[in-house]
Amino acid sequence: MAIINVSAGNEARITLGDSAANANIAGSDGLSIPSMQDITINNSTGVFRFKTLDNTAESAVTTPATNQITLNVVVDEAAFFGTGAGSIDNVVDNGLFGVSKNKTRVFFNAGFQGNDSGSKFLSGSGFISGLAPTVNMDSPVWVTPVTIEVDGDYTESAVS
Amino acid sequence: MAIRSDLLTDLTTNLSSTSVSVSTQVPYTSGDIPLYVKNMKKMYVDEEQQDITELYNCLDNNDVLQTETIVNAFVCVDAKTQPTDIDTVVSTCLNAKNSIANAIIRESSVENEYQDDKIIYTFEYRFITV
Repeated sequence: MAIINVSAGNEARITLGDSAANANIAGSDGLSIPSMQDITINNSTGVFRFKTLDNTAESAVTTPATNQITLNVVVDEAAFFGTGAGSIDNVVDNGLFGVSKNKTRVFFNAGFQGNDSGSKFLSGSGFISGLAPTVNMDSPVWVTPVTIEVDGDYTESAVS
Repeated sequence: MAIRSDLLTDLTTNLSSTSVSVSTQVPYTSGDIPLYVKNMKKMYVDEEQQDITELYNCLDNNDVLQTETIVNAFVCVDAKTQPTDIDTVVSTCLNAKNSIANAIIRESSVENEYQDDKIIYTFEYRFITV
């Protein structure tokens, strides 16, 4: 048994890119989202239940999962609005707001324990949704939720 | 110590036409008597007290911090014959909080206490910056 402790920083992390290659968690071409406050990786299967006359309890089977990654971040100007141009990745250029507005497919690597060799991560692709930047005078720094609506399944891997 | 410096600048300017002047010294005690008691009608601004806390704790340790700064200032006047412009002095001192830029919280308050035939005004300025 080995618990995954993220207190060292940069252990729980997510990298986005316009291709699976650019989203490589160990690479530098994608957008590594900075200043994440929390991240939740959902793999919520549906359930179909049925009763039969020869059973005293319901039977159940699971149906395809709804996959979704939700996080809250402190808004970083470059990450949210993009660097404009000049990088090799569309997500880096347009930022979270740009790829959400443009409904661009993004690929992701969601790391559980950093990006050193052997570190576990989940990958896949989907669409950015749920941006809702907010600020007030009690907490005068912009923060926003971010949702990645995953299209299809996760793939479990380890950094090579 | 930019906040103390900015307060001193503001107080020096805005109290120049009043009966109270401003010292750049900190209000240390000399011969068991605080400077502001020894030198009446002269305002002394103490050093800043700071408290840095986390506003947002981030997973990459790129935390967002906020700094709470408290500055005290003191002025002592004769209680029997107070300066005629003491109300102006007090309001000017309280309004000095507005000279601090980039603070999300700017508060000030005043308390007074008697020591023999003197009245000591203690101002407290509170600022929060991110």
